[in-house]
Amino acid sequence: MEQEKKLTERESLLIIQQMIQTAKQEQKDDGKGWILWGWLLFTASVLTFINLKTQWFSNNFFWNLFGIASLALLLFSTIRSLFFKKTGKVKTYTAELFQKLNIGFFISLLLIIVAINRGVSPVLGFSLLLGLYGFWILIYGAGLNFKPSIIGAYITWACAFAGLFVETFDWTMLLHATAVLLGYIIPGHLANIEFKKAHWQEK
Amino acid sequence: MFNDLDPILHSQLRLAVMSLLISVKEAEFTFLKEKTNATAGNLSVQIQKLKEAGYIEVIKQFKDNYPQTICKITPAGIKAFEEYVKNLQVYLTQK
Repeated sequence: MEQEKKLTERESLLIIQQMIQTAKQEQKDDGKGWILWGWLLFTASVLTFINLKTQWFSNNFFWNLFGIASLALLLFSTIRSLFFKKTGKVKTYTAELFQKLNIGFFISLLLIIVAINRGVSPVLGFSLLLGLYGFWILIYGAGLNFKPSIIGAYITWACAFAGLFVETFDWTMLLHATAVLLGYIIPGHLANIEFKKAHWQEK
Repeated sequence: MFNDLDPILHSQLRLAVMSLLISVKEAEFTFLKEKTNATAGNLSVQIQKLKEAGYIEVIKQFKDNYPQTICKITPAGIKAFEEYVKNLQVYLTQK
């Protein structure tokens, strides 16, 4: 940009619009977190459903496997953030808010998981989990003004509500898989496509 | 009645920098340079002017042994920017 160029009012407005639009691109999320956790949760629920029908392993085998995979992922991301600090060139208010909300989400998640392990029925426990997912999905969708996530949040809550009235765990798993597919996986992939498109246009 | 547009903001590069900073919490010098397509020298001069006006805060630090300059809009900068946009709207509607 040239130095001290005389501006008209319309040019000023255009600069403001362009730059605010550019900054808005930085708020976009690549959706990779939703895709990764979505597919892990979806696979665990579908395999558990199949396992409940075939009785190959113990009922919670795939959820235990999911727990180990989650711990490994957590360990990996902790090590990566400690030793290979990667900070962006820009800090946005939404990213900061999401970081703090993430902590709240994981603590609440842990409480429900412990409750299930302490005797709360898994059928009801998974409904509570879905309720929590829905809450986080809605905040994400509203924060980034991303409609697929907002719709996904309501679908997740509908699944959570339906989950309160099912009798058997195989139905719980089907509802869980549906909610994760529509609340995590599809919005995650759509966010990823939008993110790539926005960054491709910028180049 | 037209209010004069703030001369500090009524400049292409300074206005671009302020418009970027108003939308984010803070940004590195390299980010501003990349998004405004300005040269490092020119951008430094304009950032200094905005700093002197009290519109932005400039934090110089080291990250992984490399110098890093972080810019942040101040409350005075937000007020000035809002005022500038308001006056701009008056100009555009009256013309």
